[in-house]
Amino acid sequence: MFPTPIARTAPWVQRIYKWLLPVALVLWLLPLIGIAVTSIRPSSDLAAGNYFGWPSGFNFIENYSTVFENSNIGWYILNSFKVTIPTVVGAVGLSCLTGYALAVYKFRSNLIVFFMFVAGNFVPFQILAIPVRNLTLSLGMYNTTTGLVMFHVAFQTGFCTLFMRNFIKGLPFALIESARVEGVSEWKIFWHIVMPLMRPAIAALSVLIFTFIWNDYFWATVMAQSADVRPVTAGMNELKGQWKVAWELIAAASIIAALPPVAMFFLMQKHFIAGLTLGATKG
Amino acid sequence: MATVTLRNARKSFGSVNIIKGVDLDIADGEFCVFVGPSGCGKSTLLRMIAGLEDITSGSLQIGGREMADVEPADRGVAMVFQSYALYPHMTVRENVGFGLKMTGHSKADIEKRTERAASMLQLGPLMDRKPSQLSGGQRQRVAIGRAIVREPDVFLFDEPLSNLDAALRVQMRIEIGKLHNDLKSTMIYVTHDQVEAMTMADKIVVLHGGIIEQVGSPLELYHRPRNMFVAGFIGSPKMNFIPVTVQAARDGNVMLSLPGDGRMTIPMKGDLPAAGTRLTLGCRPEHVAIGKEAAASGALQGTIRVAEYLGSETMFYASLADGTEIAVKGDGLAAQKSGDILPLSLPAAACHLFDAQSNAILNGDLTR
Amino acid sequence: MAGLRRKRWNQRTYAPWLFLAPGMLMFSIYVVFPIFQSIWISFYDWDGLGPKTWVGLDNYANLLDDESFYTSLQNNLIWLLLYLLAIPAGLAVALFLNQSVTGIRLYKSLFFFPFVISQVVVGLIFSWFYAPDFGLLPKIIGFLTGSEIAVLADERYATYGVIAAGLWPQIAYCMILYLTGLNNINPEQVEAARMDNAKGWSMLWHIIIPQLRPATFIAMVVTVIGALRSFDLISIMTVGGPYGSTRVLSYFMYEQALSEYGVAMGYGAAIAVVLFAIMLVFISIFIVRMLQQERNG
Ligand SMILES: Nc1ncnc2c1ncn2[C@@H]1O[C@H](COP(=O)(O)OP(=O)(O)OP(=O)(O)O)[C@@H](O)[C@H]1O
Ligand SMILES: [Mg+2]
Repeated sequence: MFPTPIARTAPWVQRIYKWLLPVALVLWLLPLIGIAVTSIRPSSDLAAGNYFGWPSGFNFIENYSTVFENSNIGWYILNSFKVTIPTVVGAVGLSCLTGYALAVYKFRSNLIVFFMFVAGNFVPFQILAIPVRNLTLSLGMYNTTTGLVMFHVAFQTGFCTLFMRNFIKGLPFALIESARVEGVSEWKIFWHIVMPLMRPAIAALSVLIFTFIWNDYFWATVMAQSADVRPVTAGMNELKGQWKVAWELIAAASIIAALPPVAMFFLMQKHFIAGLTLGATKG
Repeated sequence: MATVTLRNARKSFGSVNIIKGVDLDIADGEFCVFVGPSGCGKSTLLRMIAGLEDITSGSLQIGGREMADVEPADRGVAMVFQSYALYPHMTVRENVGFGLKMTGHSKADIEKRTERAASMLQLGPLMDRKPSQLSGGQRQRVAIGRAIVREPDVFLFDEPLSNLDAALRVQMRIEIGKLHNDLKSTMIYVTHDQVEAMTMADKIVVLHGGIIEQVGSPLELYHRPRNMFVAGFIGSPKMNFIPVTVQAARDGNVMLSLPGDGRMTIPMKGDLPAAGTRLTLGCRPEHVAIGKEAAASGALQGTIRVAEYLGSETMFYASLADGTEIAVKGDGLAAQKSGDILPLSLPAAACHLFDAQSNAILNGDLTR
Repeated sequence: MAGLRRKRWNQRTYAPWLFLAPGMLMFSIYVVFPIFQSIWISFYDWDGLGPKTWVGLDNYANLLDDESFYTSLQNNLIWLLLYLLAIPAGLAVALFLNQSVTGIRLYKSLFFFPFVISQVVVGLIFSWFYAPDFGLLPKIIGFLTGSEIAVLADERYATYGVIAAGLWPQIAYCMILYLTGLNNINPEQVEAARMDNAKGWSMLWHIIIPQLRPATFIAMVVTVIGALRSFDLISIMTVGGPYGSTRVLSYFMYEQALSEYGVAMGYGAAIAVVLFAIMLVFISIFIVRMLQQERNG
């Protein structure tokens, strides 16, 4: 293990480390702690200039309920779910198929197709924005959840394919060959042998894509004009303009908006990190 | 049950030729073992027979039927993989019955065949476990069971025992042998293990660099190798090769000069080499005799470099006058030690002669 | 059977294309074709509704005369260079946290936390952190230097302020990559290096960092792409200001073609093409590198 395990160092190093750890964490999360504390301050605190001191009251319920009463945030969050969940299902589903095809079959254009997905995944959004918006308009899906979902599914298929293909490559190929010798059809091999083994990959990708899409801001801005379909990220920007200096409300709304992916992260931490760090260990 | 016939079969990956023209006849019910150094193409050849690799050119027939356009599943073959390839998410029962279920066999039929395979391989108590709950030997048995239920004409095994420990390997070897006796199917078996090859095979195929060096029964290969490669590959520890020069040759005898001052006379059939020809003499460590006094035909002196006292026997590794290394198997009670001079002699009846250039055998059929 | 063999037309020949079809179709329609359409649009003068007028390279020529373009380009470069700091910083944090004391797992999760939050929220948090009069940072600076600075309202500091906000989650991301990499280094190899008397820096430099190459590669990819894609934070924190000084190409393009008042489709497309060309350099490097890995098994 590197660096040297702290347990094997001099006692004074151990003591410093024990202290340093929480101090560093507080410093690291200082902006976040600040916003969390602000979100429960009574607005009188802010008016009186008490920005950093101990809150004069614990206004958790007041502030958070004001956020819901004074804004469409509940609606925005619902919109975010309406975009995020179908996207996760669609992109993960499609990439199970593409990933399997690219991992298992040898054909001449295999690597070309694979790298098309990989490269497409890296392009700037701006080069897609005008044509995608026009396409969505002409399909009559502009300003609808479906329009956003369609694009997200297509774009995320790039990353998901990279992920799934590498995951399936890691499975023992003999399993597939063995089934082939037994006369199992290609689709049944996919469905009965590979799919059950892909569960961890599907879980990892799902939490990742959930987070990516939930946190998307650019497409939410470009493809959704009306409040009816606006996801929470774009909604936050609007609320920021609406509330100006009512920071206790902005802070509370920020925390509400951040909550679903955070919950996802803490519930599925292992899968989340496995997904993000795919490829960080070999290659 | 079926014969397997390969005619000038070739396989290339891109521009690399891996199998360079193989002709082979495997009889119905025969137990045929492929051996050869790592990377020589044993697995590739097996996979060509299974249909997992396309044949680049040449022909493959199983049971007299051309196989080029036949799917693996329709070839009447079953394969047992080195890694067992058990489906980790299925129980033993599901693993064994999976192929049948997917190819539309009736429930009753699957049940019947599964039970039969289970009783044959003593899988009964394991049927509802997952592969991760099995030991290596048990997994191997499940893999074999999965092959059996398909009632194939030809079984293909790719180093099936190499992941097992020594004791289990012996046990499984015997079980596979029994299975062959019971089923009487054709079996093709790839292995690294000499003992497996010698004990199980009706016929051994020695592969080297994508071509067949020799095909024959175990003892044939042992006593009548066709060239230095086979002579060196079969048998452990490997045959000693000693450079010799022909002194004279007449009346069906060749007189050779050995490293040092030694000489020996070997009876030889067919054309005799001219005097002065350089040859390679081959003699297995277990055939080299220790302690014969000098002057006798075939006498040599070796200086012991390493002595391994194994109890039942002693292995000496000695160097001859010209520096050639030679291995000698001695008695378990032998007391010579490293640095000692070891008087040796080569019995003419146990010697092979090889052409020094082509490595082809010139003389030395020990079974004649 | 001599001569050429007909290629076997079987399940295994067409199955991959059936599996690929839906994904490839979607990806082509929404990602591959739009790239070419954008390039094509960049040769037109178009307001998005009316007829298109072919103007050839005029949009690009206009870009070269546009002060905002140079500002954006320069800011993109600053983003890129400063963002790369996330890699060593992430490694440092990972080394700091790669211990096995009680509760370290929770520490790791909490250090990673900023990455999970959307950039919109990060932007809001930092806007608040920087806010004049009541933000924490101006207070600290005021305490140290005697005069408060309104970071985001000051042309000199605004871009750096936004980048700092972006580095926060990016460092967290690099940290998690390196933690995974460190976790996968064979401990016996480290022991062996210890026997060879490598310690501290020499161990880090000669043994650990070379072994972390795959993690470093991924960290490079995500950091470079992240830097060039920067949009959310600018939109939230500065809206490109003050006086357009925090624009980058992606935001500049948005202003021209996508925002409420942006109707210069051709011009916007030209900006997007420039950004795409810059990214293409990096994408090519990554792809070549990944291709080599594929080839080597
Ligand atoms: N799909 C492939 N593409 C390219 N080369 C291959 C492929 N499969 C095998 N080879 C090459 O073909 C040669 C023979 O491989 P094969 O697996 O048949 O050897 P083997 O005799 O089974 O060796 P071992 O005893 O190590 O299992 C090797 O040099 C290998 O690198
Ligand atoms: Mg092999």
